Amino acid sequence: MNALVVAAEWFIGLFQQGASVFVSLVTGIVPLLIILLTGVNALIALIGADRIEKVGEWAARPGLAYYPVRYIVLPFLSVFFLTNPMAYTMGRFLPEKYKPAFYDAAVSYVHPPTGIFPHINPGELFVWLGIAAGIEAQGLSVVPLAVRYLLVGLVVIFIRGIVTERITAIMWARREAGEAATA
Amino acid sequence: MEGLNKFLVNMGRSVGGVVGALYQAGRESIDQVLVNILPFMAFIALVIGIILKTGIGDLIANALAPLAGSLVGLIIISLICAIPILSPLLGPGAVIAQVVGTLLGSTLIANGSIPASYALPALFAINPQVGCDFIPVGLALGEAEPETVEIGVPAILFSRLITGPVSVILAFIASIGLYA
Repeated sequence: MNALVVAAEWFIGLFQQGASVFVSLVTGIVPLLIILLTGVNALIALIGADRIEKVGEWAARPGLAYYPVRYIVLPFLSVFFLTNPMAYTMGRFLPEKYKPAFYDAAVSYVHPPTGIFPHINPGELFVWLGIAAGIEAQGLSVVPLAVRYLLVGLVVIFIRGIVTERITAIMWARREAGEAATA
Repeated sequence: MEGLNKFLVNMGRSVGGVVGALYQAGRESIDQVLVNILPFMAFIALVIGIILKTGIGDLIANALAPLAGSLVGLIIISLICAIPILSPLLGPGAVIAQVVGTLLGSTLIANGSIPASYALPALFAINPQVGCDFIPVGLALGEAEPETVEIGVPAILFSRLITGPVSVILAFIASIGLYA
């Protein structure tokens, strides 16, 4: 009988621990999140998400100078205003050869800004929150980490865009060569 | 009199527009919290609760510590996540990245067994597979031709093998001076 009680207590304890974690998440994170989401959603509604379409047309131009537009400015604005997953629709302004690279850059930027702009990807916040919880447990501020995550993310998507564009070009050329050989 | 009327109407309309947008924004944010955020918090809380209570966390933490505590180890994690066959499997909903992130955060970083500055490279090391499950859909949203999708999927998957480790190294360099 006693063993049964001990086992039951342990079993319930498993979930009590989870419940206290849940309460700390809800009281610690949700209130700020709601206000922040409301503010940013309102801002986006007032500015109008359709205004960034001009940037899409701008980013489609060839030439070295437009690389940062295509793989930093456009992905950033797309995920900020359209959020995950509608951000990828901005690819429609680009020529076919840039589309994979743009998607790569945009999708890689749905987590880095979530420390400051959680509206971008509210369903996948714990990539950031999980790691940030450890920093908080040490009594440190998470803001320096959030800022660096956002900034390094921009450099990473830039590199990712360039590398993927190159690989796409190589694979495209190879396929066309193959098709020419069989024809 | 007519000018005043026009002014009042315009004013009322724009104030109404702003208030409406704010109210709609509030409704959206509550929706997002209920539909996306709270369910995942419940899931994460259950996982953390079980991990903390059963001591599994210590086991996993001990296994991960040598990997997560060094630059080489983090690069290895990023390479594993970027393997072209694995990355589409690890991608969906970023569940793997979120669970591994929570594990690292609530064990190794929380108890100080790896330095706080490693949080930045770790954020990139656990996530080179981001979006790899979603490439055909993402490209279709961008109105890509079928041929572009055919080439784009492998191009992105192979690109991640390069850019995954590169992102970890960049983040490691950028973490210098963080929490020093």
